[in-house]
Amino acid sequence: MWAPLKGLLATAAIASAVSAQAENLSVGLASFPESLQPGLSTNVSLNVNRQMMDGLTARDNAGMIVPNLAETWELVDDTTMRFHLREGVKFHDGSTFSAEDVKYTLDHALDPKNAYGMLGRISAITEVRIADPKTVDIVTAKPFPTLPVALADILIEPRLYAEKLGAEGQRRRPVGTGPFEFIRYIPGDRIELKANPNYWAGKPSIDSMTLRSIPEAATRISSLLAGETQIVEEVPVDLVQQVENNSALKANSVNTSVGLVLTYDVTKPPFDNPRVREALDYAVDKELILKEILKGKGEVLQGQLLTSNTFGHNPAVKARAFDPARAKKLLAEAGYPNGFSTSISTMSGRYLSDVDIANAVSGMLNDVGVKVSINVMEPGIFLKNLGSPARELGPIYMIGWYSFGDADFAMTWYTGSNRRTAWTNAEFDKLFSTARSTNDAAGRKAAYARMGEILHAENPSMFLFGVPTIYGVSKKLSGFQAPSDRVLRLNRAKLN
Amino acid sequence: MFGYLWRRLRYLPVSLLLVLFITFSVLRLTGNPIDIYLDMNRTPEQVEALTQKLHLDRPLVVQFGIYLRDVVKGDFGESLQFGVPALEVVLDRLGNTIELVVVALGLAVVLGIAGGAIAALRRDKTADFLISFLAVLGQSMPSFWLGILLIQFFALRLGWLPTSGQGGLAHIVLPALTLAAYLIPNFILITRTGVIETSNEQFVVTATAKGIPAARVLLVHIMPNTLNPILSFLGLQLGKLIGGSIITESIFAWPGIGRLMVSSIFQRDIPVVIAAICIMCIAIVLANLLVDVALSLLDPRIREA
Repeated sequence: MWAPLKGLLATAAIASAVSAQAENLSVGLASFPESLQPGLSTNVSLNVNRQMMDGLTARDNAGMIVPNLAETWELVDDTTMRFHLREGVKFHDGSTFSAEDVKYTLDHALDPKNAYGMLGRISAITEVRIADPKTVDIVTAKPFPTLPVALADILIEPRLYAEKLGAEGQRRRPVGTGPFEFIRYIPGDRIELKANPNYWAGKPSIDSMTLRSIPEAATRISSLLAGETQIVEEVPVDLVQQVENNSALKANSVNTSVGLVLTYDVTKPPFDNPRVREALDYAVDKELILKEILKGKGEVLQGQLLTSNTFGHNPAVKARAFDPARAKKLLAEAGYPNGFSTSISTMSGRYLSDVDIANAVSGMLNDVGVKVSINVMEPGIFLKNLGSPARELGPIYMIGWYSFGDADFAMTWYTGSNRRTAWTNAEFDKLFSTARSTNDAAGRKAAYARMGEILHAENPSMFLFGVPTIYGVSKKLSGFQAPSDRVLRLNRAKLN
Repeated sequence: MFGYLWRRLRYLPVSLLLVLFITFSVLRLTGNPIDIYLDMNRTPEQVEALTQKLHLDRPLVVQFGIYLRDVVKGDFGESLQFGVPALEVVLDRLGNTIELVVVALGLAVVLGIAGGAIAALRRDKTADFLISFLAVLGQSMPSFWLGILLIQFFALRLGWLPTSGQGGLAHIVLPALTLAAYLIPNFILITRTGVIETSNEQFVVTATAKGIPAARVLLVHIMPNTLNPILSFLGLQLGKLIGGSIITESIFAWPGIGRLMVSSIFQRDIPVVIAAICIMCIAIVLANLLVDVALSLLDPRIREA
């Protein structure tokens, strides 16, 4: 009975090996979009749609803004930015890209009726004007320095195609100007793409690509080990070794722009006392946690919210050194010589090793007399509480704030109007508005640097880590780098 | 027969209604769609639009009433995450789950009955101990662990089978085996008990005494009489099997309805969750009905009762 079965299985194995020999790149994704409609407000859908579509601007792997369908841009006046479009670009359906498509896409996104998920990023836009077929002026209500950053997430759709087939058409068969063309989408399983021979930046060297949904980490790593995939996303820290032990594979780690923090409820004792917050910062050995739990991947936040790869990061501000004796002394001075009990609320699996980190922090705080219980919450409930004014998340909650490379996107959570902390500071708020409403990069940088100092001095949160993301990659693949925004860039990738 | 069907089906709407209400309330009460779907940089207009669309400013019961009105018309609403009709999302995946469950069930029945019959015939001998041991082992192993072990062994060590995903026949072997592993032990034990009990019946003794070959005694005289408990058990286990498929689908990246449900629950995508639950309820009820009809065809005593 076994021999024929074995034969059958062997045939199947050979068949899959043969198909792998074509220049097909297979990627194991941890999160997979349930729809290909452009403009869904998640990086998950951006990660897939970006393969087929371009924006006016784009981020590179380090998170810096680079030209994409717009070659250059400049300010015409304080509220108008002019974008010069790339020439000779064609959509996958053969139509030529022009200013009409930019206007169509932005107008479509700005119309609240269309429920465009990324609308929040660009809602400051009041008008999109076509100056000529190769030039677009974008007018904003106020100066909007982060416009090029925001536009990196708005993917340009072909006007004629979209008007003819509507959102339905783009969802069924997305057409863009991107490096890969759509072949097939099987919901929950895979999307198949082929190289766009007319890509404006050159035809990708991979002939075709399969993006597979493999949500379970252990299976994802297995698929890489078995050679079924050549790239997998989000290798958990405890499986990195398994990848590195295999001579055909490597682990590529990159720092994202997510700053993982523990935010205090400063309205209630003991955290209404700034000295207590400072004491706790001394009590946690962040370097040790980074080394032991994150295996040295990622970075310790330098006493501020922003990761070092973010515009507005203040290099002069440094994390407090681990000093439990000083922590105990400060706690005694604040009136807590014997410590106190408190709790940390966190989601599980949202950020790399989140619960493990919370537990390690809890252990270290215990050493200075602060007893911490960990309260793991289901994400829906956690986010509901985070968004509600009462913020019933207990005395401390753990969260990661994204900056998308620019201070504005992360700092907003510490302002009085948009706060996710009870802590407020008039100077901080004023600096934030100043930085948001000027196009002067040096001025913005100075404002954010001062805001970093304020955060460091007042400790509204304990600033822990810049969270890494780890990719497992076959050594046969070259020209691929782990992207800090978790949006794959594969047009230069090559299989040897 | 129609009277019988009617008696069986008349409570279906009531159970569906209850399931819908509980699901809807729990999901709405434990997570606010605005916090989950809208980008952190959302505008007040976006909040307003979503509030209007989902009637979030009305009391929960009213929200449910409005939702129910649409569901009755066959409109489960749009997936909140993806703007696609919820029913379409679910139906896209339904076939995959049915495929997985049917193959798993087939494996469980064939292996279970064969194992049970062998154990019964070799009662208290090595084969019996071995099979019973494996049965207990299979039942005690959590399926996510078994699944990962199977991947490690068959896909990585031996390289015979793909680790995950959907494709040819080879892709379904491991997930179906993992899903079946939970049921096989039960089928083994039920078959074993049934065969042993029936073997002691006088008609079996008579058949053996008449010199009918042992194989024929087993297939013609013993097995048909043990089918009844096996079939009833099968009906009972369908719900569990579909529940188990949630974990199995996640491990093996199988694009079925279970995995869809898990991610939709986390995202509080109520239309998709409810559409999926409705479809599953209906599938389980219909499958049970099928089992009952089969039972009544096999066993006249049930038909007459």
